Amino acid sequence: MPLLPFLRPLLGFAAAFCFATLAAHAESPRVAIAKAIVTEDADEQVKLVGSLTGSTDATVHDLLTAWKEGGTFICTAPSGLLDAPEGSKLAVQLSGPKDADGKQAATRIDTGESLKNADGSAARLLCTDLDAADTSSDLRVVMHSVLELFAIASPDPHTRFNAISQMGLSQDPAQLPVLLARQSIETDSAVKRALREAIAQIQLKSSDSAVQIHAAQELGVLRSLSSRDALLQLATDSDVAAPTVAKAAHAALRLIEQHLSVVNFYGTLFRGLSLGSVLLVVAIGLAITFGLMGVINMAHGELIAVGAYATYLVQNIFGAGVELSPLGYPIHFRGFNAGAAAYDWYFVVALPIAFISAAIVGLILERCVIRFLYRRPLESLLATWGMSLVLQQLFRLVFGANNVQVYSPRWLSGNWTVFDVILGWNRVFVIGFAALIIAGTWLLLNKTPLGLLIRAVMQNRNMAACVGVRTERVNMLTFAFGSGLAGLAGAFLSQIGNVGPILGQDYIVGAFMTVVVGGVGSLAGTVLSALAIGISDQSLQQILLNPVLGKILVLTAIILFLQWKPAGLFVTRSRSLES
Amino acid sequence: MNCVFSKREWLLLALSVVLLVFVLPALSVTGILPDYLLALFGKYLCYSVLAISVDLLWGYTGLLSLGQSVFFSLGGYMLGMNLMLMIGKLGSYARDGKNPNLLPDFMVFLGHTFLPWFWRPFHSVGFAAAMVILLPCLLALCFGFLAFRSRIKGVYFSILTQALTYAVSLMFFRNDLLMGGNNGFTDFKTILGCDVHAASTKRALFICTSILLLSVFAGCRWLTRTKFGLVQRAIRDSETRVLFSGYAAANYKLLIFVGCAAIAAIGGALYVPQVGIINPSEMTTERSLEAVVWCAVGGRGTLLGPILGAILVNALKSWATQKFPDQWLIFLGSVFIFVVLLMPKGIVGLPSQLKSIWASSRNRAEDGASASSQALPPPEKIEGAKA
Amino acid sequence: MKSTKLLGLALATAASTALAFSSHAEEDTVKVGVLHSLSGTMAISETSLRDVLLFTFDEINKAGGVMGKKIEPVVVDGASNWPLFAEKAHQLLEQDKVAVTFGCWTSVSRKSVLPVFEADKGLLFYPVQYEGEEESPDIFYTAEAVNQQATPAVDYLLSKGKKKFYLLGSDYVYPQTTNLILLEYLLSKGVPIENIGGGIKKDDSGKIISAGKYTPFGHTDYQQIVAEIKQFAAGGKACVINTLNGDTNVPFFKEYAAAGLTAETCPVCSFSISEDEFRGLPAKQLVGQLGCWTYFESIKSPANKKFVTNFLSWVKSPKVTGAPDADVKGVKAEGRVTCSPMVLSYDGVYLWKKAVEKAKSFEVTKVVAALEEGIEFDGPGGMVKSQKNHHLTKNVYIGETKADGQFKILKEYPNVVGEPHLMGTFKTKTASN
Repeated sequence: MPLLPFLRPLLGFAAAFCFATLAAHAESPRVAIAKAIVTEDADEQVKLVGSLTGSTDATVHDLLTAWKEGGTFICTAPSGLLDAPEGSKLAVQLSGPKDADGKQAATRIDTGESLKNADGSAARLLCTDLDAADTSSDLRVVMHSVLELFAIASPDPHTRFNAISQMGLSQDPAQLPVLLARQSIETDSAVKRALREAIAQIQLKSSDSAVQIHAAQELGVLRSLSSRDALLQLATDSDVAAPTVAKAAHAALRLIEQHLSVVNFYGTLFRGLSLGSVLLVVAIGLAITFGLMGVINMAHGELIAVGAYATYLVQNIFGAGVELSPLGYPIHFRGFNAGAAAYDWYFVVALPIAFISAAIVGLILERCVIRFLYRRPLESLLATWGMSLVLQQLFRLVFGANNVQVYSPRWLSGNWTVFDVILGWNRVFVIGFAALIIAGTWLLLNKTPLGLLIRAVMQNRNMAACVGVRTERVNMLTFAFGSGLAGLAGAFLSQIGNVGPILGQDYIVGAFMTVVVGGVGSLAGTVLSALAIGISDQSLQQILLNPVLGKILVLTAIILFLQWKPAGLFVTRSRSLES
Repeated sequence: MNCVFSKREWLLLALSVVLLVFVLPALSVTGILPDYLLALFGKYLCYSVLAISVDLLWGYTGLLSLGQSVFFSLGGYMLGMNLMLMIGKLGSYARDGKNPNLLPDFMVFLGHTFLPWFWRPFHSVGFAAAMVILLPCLLALCFGFLAFRSRIKGVYFSILTQALTYAVSLMFFRNDLLMGGNNGFTDFKTILGCDVHAASTKRALFICTSILLLSVFAGCRWLTRTKFGLVQRAIRDSETRVLFSGYAAANYKLLIFVGCAAIAAIGGALYVPQVGIINPSEMTTERSLEAVVWCAVGGRGTLLGPILGAILVNALKSWATQKFPDQWLIFLGSVFIFVVLLMPKGIVGLPSQLKSIWASSRNRAEDGASASSQALPPPEKIEGAKA
Repeated sequence: MKSTKLLGLALATAASTALAFSSHAEEDTVKVGVLHSLSGTMAISETSLRDVLLFTFDEINKAGGVMGKKIEPVVVDGASNWPLFAEKAHQLLEQDKVAVTFGCWTSVSRKSVLPVFEADKGLLFYPVQYEGEEESPDIFYTAEAVNQQATPAVDYLLSKGKKKFYLLGSDYVYPQTTNLILLEYLLSKGVPIENIGGGIKKDDSGKIISAGKYTPFGHTDYQQIVAEIKQFAAGGKACVINTLNGDTNVPFFKEYAAAGLTAETCPVCSFSISEDEFRGLPAKQLVGQLGCWTYFESIKSPANKKFVTNFLSWVKSPKVTGAPDADVKGVKAEGRVTCSPMVLSYDGVYLWKKAVEKAKSFEVTKVVAALEEGIEFDGPGGMVKSQKNHHLTKNVYIGETKADGQFKILKEYPNVVGEPHLMGTFKTKTASN
């Protein structure tokens, strides 16, 4: 057909216009999504996407998922495209392999066909020239509800579980049939439970009081924490109108509250355990340098920071590289842009590197300063404080005064929920990590020749020297080992907190307390005191509902405890600290 | 008294009195010395008092306390409470008529309408002045009693005082304590009825601080030359032997600890009206350690050392934070390491240290390789009975 | 020994006096003070403000200065030490005799210098969001008052159907006061008190004196609090109002993400996280969380585009035209962004310039009078106008964080009047929702 090229878009536009006016609701999902992507108006976006609710068209699922994950792009049409006037905005998806220029084939979202040049050949676009279509959380909420219908039939039980829980919370009676239909075919036990919960939550809104009572009882039996608000609402709403319903709601609430106190008990226990493990990881290095060697290392916190910064560097080398400019001299670390799967393993590589770099810094400190002060513990406190000031400022000069960003790998950033107790993977990890470090340290001290030498030197330096032990060297290695452990602590702390120049300052007092309470020179004591401090801190927080008061009470308790046992939990005879 | 101070010392003491109490204030009256510099010197003198209290504990008794900043700020807080109440009708809420009970502004902020019970007696300056000494002493007494009874000493004592400092500062950071939280006390208007911003008040405060410093100095000099001072140093050098000689070392230590708390607290009380603010960041461990640095730099185990150290380090800080903000901490840290490692006697001991180095190097030159290469005297002999 | 002491004192005196008289003003310049922490814990935030101020001075000097006089910056370092702030303020006002000072970040530093400025009749421009309840005649608060940040954010959340609010903050005066005001505001909007989480404290007479959960600076363990929020938000329609200080946000958000809480299930609206703070936060874990400021770098206006481009090119070769001695050391060029406190500093300088030109004098009283009459400036964040109560009328934006550390602007509230005294102005609505 010899249509003039410039007429084509006009015709297309007219056709679309007719289509839209004739059947406003029957607008093709593709067109609606494409429109939503290119519009600048957030409310309009929400409306357009919302209009897709109830759709079972698989393209809706695919496109919205792609959009959420940043796989759709807005292209400002260059000249010479088919059906797209220059400068108009097009929603596109990129696919296929990149060619030499990095360009990829593009699909128009509104038509589902590939983007063509005016001459009919496929147009190729450069990813970096396009704007990835972003989403706002409102929009994602709407997308969620659109996708829920897909999610409920998803093969992944976890997806089904989340979708069903969300439907329950929304308490929308219109969704009841879908859930009931699913209930008859669902096989996964966790999802089945979620279904019962969601159905009961929706039934709370029923107009039939018998259904409401039954739903409330069901929720009570299920110990449904998420229904607390709904049940409370029901109890107040029906207090006068339907006392039996209110009674059932109250009964259910009581059951839930009981369950909650059990959950809180175990939750607190777990959190205490994990806090104790963090303390232990932080204090174990100090238990070596202070406990065994008698060096009051105020720079311990900065050695932790060395480990954390090492993790940061490794992370960036796995990623896009990093540019540092210590004292104005730029240093560039090239990154090797690892893929997502490999990138997640950066942390495993970071652990030994954190250990080694902190150990090296520790070694330098020992050689330059601490070795002159073995017989003057008070002065070692002062000199190491001076070093901590210097190190802090060096961090600022090298890495900047700002905190740096360290991301958790995926395998450390989720959680298990067991009986409504959240077990964060990073928290579970630290408990295991602490156990491993303790086991390793114990093995090193008790089962290796080096351990034998370390113990010999720590117990009686002169005697060890007399029988031919090179005490200087043992001191050096022990201090480096303790520092390395601090580095490991830093690598872990980067996963749960700040990485910045004063990172170590937040932990140093806690670490000293742990070692002193445990009994200087005793590994077992350090373990026990770390766990005791962690659990009592978390319990007090739970009881007092105040994070600071608990901390102050724990510190006071420690001071009083040391009256009773001045040498800590486990008394070890260590020559180095007796005058 | 004549056996305590030599004639030369009397003369020099008198000279310092003339300089600090008369000359500097007079210079400020004539305008040669700007008011803010006088206030700055006043601040340094308060720090010197703090440094002396650290030194009396550390240099003379061997107790490295990281809690002196707590006593210093507690003293400041106690006087501050009175100053806050003295704001009265001049506060910004009272000016707008929104504060009928004349609470300190920060309490009105937090929605309080009545003055808490423990604030009420502070309307009286006398009570506040008494509390400046009593409260820190009480805290020192309780803590010291517990610590010394169970014979906690050396580094353990340092670490425990560090924990004490941390706990108290956490407490004062809490707004619930009703001590101003993180902001602390500020915006004082009057002290004893005089305008705190008036030049004459500033001069009066400066003179008070000078008198305090000089009397603390003279008092400590006297104390360290009595038998008490001798026992003190004996405890530092070998506590076990002191115990075996029949002295109740714990009581001596407790007394000196409480006394030092009082000295620091009075210093803090004079510090607050001069700088115009007290908040919990003054009572962190770092502040205590800084005071220890002043002592170490000036020369511990002497009484002049801490004063010199406090003034020098702080003057340096005022200057360097402006000129080299990036390098300042590195410099401070390095000075500290250097002093601890190579100058155990600090500035005051520098001449004698140089002399001994010179002597030993000359000996070595004469005796060949056999001379001892030990340039530094062992730390146990940092200062002897010659002081 | 005494002679050493005398010598020491004499030296110190001499050194300080020498310092006092070493600098003398030149005829064709006007001295302007910059009082921020360039070292210590607050340097993270405040160094950026120093940079933007120097940039502004450079821009003004290039265009001819203020009434023909070039601005000569006097930069001093408060070193995150509050008594030192007062000391430096004295120095700026009494020794350098600056015409105006731009500075301070924390409430406590402002409180520390306030008496100095009142006593010496100086003029301070304060650019950081604050708790209100203050109206010093010698300070201009270019920053967000509570009703220019917290209450619009709550309005927005309410409009999105949020019914439960968890209040969390660092334990200092800004979060405490903001949350008390928000509590009153929420109650006035018909939110029942059971739906406000974090805990409420009452005094003996039953008056509420504290709302929300508070953690100290440098707090690292947010497990308990996040578990509490998780239970609080289990029933849906909940959100968190976060006034945590910059640093502590990292452990909080890491824990928050680990507990499976997301912006979709329970959004967090933060008042202390701007683009600049974002540089030290795990951005990916914050995607979708809300922020509320009077400026975002992502604002698409010609004024903002010009400001951002000029600033980013200035940091590459920092200097202040007309003041060759000005200290521009330590201006970093990498990874720079602009944020609300920076723009409010920028706006402040221009407001002062316009006020000086209107008053035809550098005298503080005349400049303040001109400012009180209302000076307008079309800044990067939109039009700002000074008010009689020393605050500014300006636009308020709600934004959502993106993975690149920028904000996507969701809503704009134009021309909000800055109102410092809000406590007790909202009346509790008795009807239930």
